[in-house]
Amino acid sequence: MAMNRRRLAGLLLIALVIVCAIVADAIAPYDPMRSSVDILATPSAAHLFGTDELGRDVLSRLIHGARVSLVIGFGAALVGMLVGVPVGLMAGYFRGGVDVAAVMLIDLLVALPGLVLALVITVMIGPSLNHLAFVLGFVMWPGVARLTRGQVLAVREATFIEAARAAGGTSAWIIARHVWPNIMRVIAAQFAVSVSFAIFTSSSLSFLGLGIPPPTPDWGGMVRTGYDFLVLNPLMSLGPGAAVALTVMGFYLVGSSVE
Amino acid sequence: MLTVIVRRLLLAIPTMIALTALLFFSLTALLGSPAAMMLGQDASPEAVAAINARYGFDKPLPAQYLDWMVSAMQGEFGRSHTTQQSVASAILPCIPVTLELALLAIVLASFGAVISNTLPIGRGAGAPAVVTLNLIGITVPNFMLGISLIFVFSVWLGWLPTTGWAPWSEGIATHIAHMILPVLTLSAYYFGVFSIVYRAEYKDVEKRLFIQAARAKGLSRSRVAFRHAMPNAILPVITYMGLTMGQLTGGAVVTESVFSMPGTGRLLVSSIASHDFPVMLAIGMMIVIGVVLMNLLADIAYTFVNPQIRID
Repeated sequence: MAMNRRRLAGLLLIALVIVCAIVADAIAPYDPMRSSVDILATPSAAHLFGTDELGRDVLSRLIHGARVSLVIGFGAALVGMLVGVPVGLMAGYFRGGVDVAAVMLIDLLVALPGLVLALVITVMIGPSLNHLAFVLGFVMWPGVARLTRGQVLAVREATFIEAARAAGGTSAWIIARHVWPNIMRVIAAQFAVSVSFAIFTSSSLSFLGLGIPPPTPDWGGMVRTGYDFLVLNPLMSLGPGAAVALTVMGFYLVGSSVE
Repeated sequence: MLTVIVRRLLLAIPTMIALTALLFFSLTALLGSPAAMMLGQDASPEAVAAINARYGFDKPLPAQYLDWMVSAMQGEFGRSHTTQQSVASAILPCIPVTLELALLAIVLASFGAVISNTLPIGRGAGAPAVVTLNLIGITVPNFMLGISLIFVFSVWLGWLPTTGWAPWSEGIATHIAHMILPVLTLSAYYFGVFSIVYRAEYKDVEKRLFIQAARAKGLSRSRVAFRHAMPNAILPVITYMGLTMGQLTGGAVVTESVFSMPGTGRLLVSSIASHDFPVMLAIGMMIVIGVVLMNLLADIAYTFVNPQIRID
């Protein structure tokens, strides 16, 4: 019951962000990129969240920031899944040498600090939306592979798998028809958790000034500039900061409601 | 038990070598030529060759890695490309700042998590509050949490200094006043993670017979909780303390930047921003080795706490 409430809250938050991203052009009161002479205005009826150091409307940039966050979140999670799930499936299903090698590699990589790794790689290959999604996906795949492998190990000894093998099923068929449907729910949950991790980390990188380059409206970067004007207009940093936190929370709630 | 510790130690060494080599090779591979990066794209081939010869970048990668490791063992990490200061003298003063921050945060997070989830009130009437706090800790990024805390406690209430960091030499009270918010910020995530792990384990332990026996004896609820349930539920927290060390360094990077603390994390960010290869490499290596050592410590602590492991 409590679990369902958590998932519902998460789904509502995610829906809000997705709607913002889709209809951003229609609901944003101003062009998020257009600067004006009205710089650093405090919140007013014309600019609900005020304007930034270039006179751009903060609320409009906040609404458009949903797009950037979702693209990175889904992109990175997809990359992490595309690498991690097959590795985990192979390792867990075939065991033996493949498994030993995969586990060694995974153990090695999960020990590395994700944010620091992402920081270094992103700067080396140049920060951009696509690069960030790839780097974060690369950072996440060992965790995904480990989880997938654990799930496969739990079902591979089941009687129905044995029966499928006895019936002469090929490995590919057994994995697709019998293993995958049983682990799909957990993998889907992991996808949501991965999205939340990617948004969390990419916004942290942008906050450090090493993520998505300006002038793209990105929440982490907006917090970074707004932080300098915290006393003047707290909404300039706390607004986009809250947007990151609520988006991360939405995906996390949905992902963690499946056990 | 000694054999367990020795076995773990022997396992940690190849892990460390593999990770440091991986870091070294990937950094150098991604950078292309450090010399080109230092001199810019218009550098003449002669200048690049001169820099390569001077820093040993012309040797094959494994040789460079060995050279680096050998001189690192002697405390020689090269010179910063931007300031020409020796890397060791740039990093050394930063280490205590980060260590203090990280240690205090981990201690606060683990004690906070264990106590708030063991206290009968945290499990009964106060449970929704504790669960909400866990969720906030896990999902609110460090930078947002730090700035929110600064806004509430420094800007709005005016109780604590806004930003900056004060060394011990400026007085213990000043130092502590500057440390409260950074430690809170960094510990929040770990408080959440430890809480969730501990709560789940506690729930399992609570069902066991010896807990029922202790209750039947007429012991008070808090005595059953702290004396009988807690010691049996605390093991996963220790494992997670080791597992989360890698993320802790990432959290420290952000936290130090928010509070402008002169720590290793902030030095790493500035070295990355200015493409200062030797500093970046030295800090990266330090983090990797630190993470492996912390995992090792957690493993050893685990064998101390859990007598079942000591036997085999």
